[in-house]
Amino acid sequence: MSSITRLWLQNFTAFENLVLSPSPGINVLIGVNGTGKTHILKVLYAACAITEGEDKDKPFGLKLRNVFNPYNGAVGRLVRRKNVSSTAKIQITRAGGERFLAVFSNHTKGVEDIRTYRKFFWTQKPLLSAFIPVKEMLALAPGLIAISAKREWSIEEIYVDIIKKAYLPLLTGPAGRDRKALLGALENAIEGKVILKGETFFLKNKQGELEFPLLAEGMRKLALIWLLIQNGSLTKGSILFWDEPEANLNPSLMEQVVKVIFKLQELGVQVFLTTHNYVLLKQFDLQASKKSAIQYVSLFREPVASKPTGPVVAKVSDTYSGIDPNDISGTLDRLYDEEVKRSFGGGPK
Amino acid sequence: MAFREGDLEIEFPDHAAPRRFDDPKTHKLARCMKAVDCIFEWNGDTYFLEIKDPDNPKAQTEGKEQFLREFQSDVLTNKLTYKYRDSFLYEYASDRIKGKIHYIVLLCMKQLDSYLLSSRSDELRKSIPLERPNGPWQNSFVSSCTVLNIEAWKRNLAQFPVRRVSDVARRAT
Repeated sequence: MSSITRLWLQNFTAFENLVLSPSPGINVLIGVNGTGKTHILKVLYAACAITEGEDKDKPFGLKLRNVFNPYNGAVGRLVRRKNVSSTAKIQITRAGGERFLAVFSNHTKGVEDIRTYRKFFWTQKPLLSAFIPVKEMLALAPGLIAISAKREWSIEEIYVDIIKKAYLPLLTGPAGRDRKALLGALENAIEGKVILKGETFFLKNKQGELEFPLLAEGMRKLALIWLLIQNGSLTKGSILFWDEPEANLNPSLMEQVVKVIFKLQELGVQVFLTTHNYVLLKQFDLQASKKSAIQYVSLFREPVASKPTGPVVAKVSDTYSGIDPNDISGTLDRLYDEEVKRSFGGGPK
Repeated sequence: MAFREGDLEIEFPDHAAPRRFDDPKTHKLARCMKAVDCIFEWNGDTYFLEIKDPDNPKAQTEGKEQFLREFQSDVLTNKLTYKYRDSFLYEYASDRIKGKIHYIVLLCMKQLDSYLLSSRSDELRKSIPLERPNGPWQNSFVSSCTVLNIEAWKRNLAQFPVRRVSDVARRAT
């Protein structure tokens, strides 16, 4: 079983010293904007990407730079900003205990200047992964890879990578029981199957074939998951990074999405996702069962007396009710309190 | 002045004059009219308070299940609606209504977060109803209608402290 078992970030972006021990199942990251949720997904993804496919044997620094896309490509900009020189450390451990370490300073400009340790051992076994960004890209797929290869468009590499993953040929042979059930659930939700003609994706159902640009964006996301399962990108032992699954999804679809995520976990996929959405979060609470492996990670800035905001820290909980702080329910509380105040016409005081 | 309902106790200032309304000894039409648990006054307005406490540690499983069934269907909203309407009628005919009337339902269910409380409040407002039909009605039937859990009560009605009697007893032992 391949999974990430530990992440240690020192002086990296919003983090001064963050240690996480992710669940081998589902990891739900919540926190207000600017608390580094996507950064955690990206840094883990970069470390996974260099173990397989066309990124295998690429320098980690190059992948890190392309995934984060800092200004002028200066990776030193990813070091937590301080008034003095400082060094960032990224240490990631996978199941089995293999550890990978990358070190660089705020003066580091070129990706070749990032020092890595145990990369050879780290890359001996592949860590299959897929990163689904907030913005759905499949509708833009035709021609995008060619444009990106010519470096005519400065874009975070996660967007190009997911298109490449979607283009991988479908697996042949019968699907196992779990995979079949998962695909069936997705086909019910998207009401069809995905086919590829040239570089254009279509949803095929009884009504015919509908090209992706004409398909609702939320549906395209579910269709993408169907493709990733069909082509073996999401399988037992792979890792899914999903940034804000709720984006462009009607709340009525959240139940299906969470159902699919739980089924992926049961299949043996480790999942990291971020969310700002109450309905999505509540669905995890409602659908979690004894066989679920789920962990909620609440990221927040710890108040420091001398500064308005301190570094981002994390609190972890195995249950929804244990999420603390929960900025999503906290916002709803404040909203409801406003409603109550209005009800009482400013009183009773 | 404390008002106790089951395992919950709410402390009111004396001038809020809370009175137990759902009491056959004082409610002369208890045989045919529903009644809210408590009525109190505050800042010149009248507050109707109904308390539902499925989280009461002493509540029987059967009772909790029954409550859950009512909660999940429209039975609870209907009951809360009729309690309000009958209480309003009784108080109106008794000429005891002062100022505006606010209806508060204290619903002690730890699963109820603000999102669900808000949707419950909306449902009850539609059912009572809170809206005044254009034209015929000259007077307001209800000024506000709010469903609160204990946490929301503590945040919004801090001047009326609420506590669980069993919690206090447990801490004392």
